[in-house]
Amino acid sequence: MSHLHGQDPRVVIARRCARELRAGEVVNLGIGIPTMTANYLPPGVQVIFHSENGCFGFGPKPGTLEADSDVSNASTEPVTLMPGAAIMDLTTSLGAMRNGYIATSVLGGLEVDQEGNLANWASKRNGKWWPGIGGAMDLCYGVPRIIAALQHTDKHGHSKVKKRTHLPLTGKGCVKVIVTDHAVFDVTPEGLVLREAYPGLTVENIRAVTEADFTVSPNFGPMDI
Amino acid sequence: MNIDKVMSIDAAMAHVTPGARVMMGEFVGAGEPAKCIEWLLAHRIDRLTLIANTSGLRGDFLMGKLFAAGLIEEYIGTHGATSNEASDAYLSGKLKVRQFFPMGTWAEKVRAGGHGLGGALVPVGVGILDQEGLFPDLEEPKRTIEIRGKTYLVEEALTADVSIIRGYRADPLGNVEFRYMATQNQKDLAMAGKFTIAEVNEIVPVGAIPPERVGCPGPFVNAVVQGYSLADQHTLYRDHWIKLGRLPKLPEGETP
Repeated sequence: MSHLHGQDPRVVIARRCARELRAGEVVNLGIGIPTMTANYLPPGVQVIFHSENGCFGFGPKPGTLEADSDVSNASTEPVTLMPGAAIMDLTTSLGAMRNGYIATSVLGGLEVDQEGNLANWASKRNGKWWPGIGGAMDLCYGVPRIIAALQHTDKHGHSKVKKRTHLPLTGKGCVKVIVTDHAVFDVTPEGLVLREAYPGLTVENIRAVTEADFTVSPNFGPMDI
Repeated sequence: MNIDKVMSIDAAMAHVTPGARVMMGEFVGAGEPAKCIEWLLAHRIDRLTLIANTSGLRGDFLMGKLFAAGLIEEYIGTHGATSNEASDAYLSGKLKVRQFFPMGTWAEKVRAGGHGLGGALVPVGVGILDQEGLFPDLEEPKRTIEIRGKTYLVEEALTADVSIIRGYRADPLGNVEFRYMATQNQKDLAMAGKFTIAEVNEIVPVGAIPPERVGCPGPFVNAVVQGYSLADQHTLYRDHWIKLGRLPKLPEGETP
């Protein structure tokens, strides 16, 4: 039986990630769980969402008859433009990502490790690396604060928070915070520091499902969710 | 004689021959030249090398169909599985992909091709994408260069026989205006093609597009062709978004 008592782990992760976003900052959300983060922003926290297809300041999904075929996010889901939105071309958008204009990015992951390495673009299928890179590597290179949002274990129960990643990397040492359905870790020069565990879980519970080494923060407490 | 680049899709697309190297404007299905894609499907022009940001949007939609139809021999871009059709073709060995590029790298390679540069020096992926054996189909290992103590990948420029872009409005001089997130790098793609076709929602008289709204100047365009009207394009995308569950269905009797 899951420690989440039937809650969708992806929603737990997205809700917790939303609390990591800081008022006023420029944020890029990757596809999947990260995209869901936008739905759980705490009241009063305004951030500017960047989308790599060329926009600062996109907003919620429109109604069917309001959807504009030229206004969509990086996964080509229809979105709206907030007052003050700005459109840019692709090289500008990717240049902004490389050159530090995006403060925080929430990215999904296949594996993350205790040195902050993130792997999320390739696994081996039919002897080939699949599926591809997109904008994730540009984000890992240039965004100062990468939040890795991923389920703590794979479907076989193996830890996705590793001592060392094995898959091709998306970014080296880029992850600053790891948010899973079990825990929140900070990635520090001294290694992983456990900051929070899902309410009801102990440090020992987290150790039992985590391959990576970690220490426990003096401020350790239940997940702020 | 007045310059008039407006022509039929047949006349423009006759420049795309089997085995051609084709660039196409798009971002996961958005901003794709729908009518020109339909022409390629109808005429079954094959063995194409497709240079496009992603491999389209899933669910039997526009550019993705080119992979399902087996018309694409090689794909040069950032992602092999934004459409299930490209993913299937790649995993079954029918589609050649020598390597994937980070999106910013791919965009700069296209820009370099369009702007007369040999390539771009890119720090993204150093120590990752140049690892030996990662991309076994590369003819030579990825090169690196050091500038002021920092390492960059040497990424060669990309050019094409034909570039096909999609804009909002164009005039007979070939000036193209873009809308919102369909701006993408359509202008750079236009500049990187030996022959460039602009498919637009609306063809307007010279002077109708304010000069500061021209996103791709006419000299970079060889042919202007009529695509879907903006209203019909909205319907095409809304229908597909409903099909993918990204928009709610409309009540009986209403059309998107």
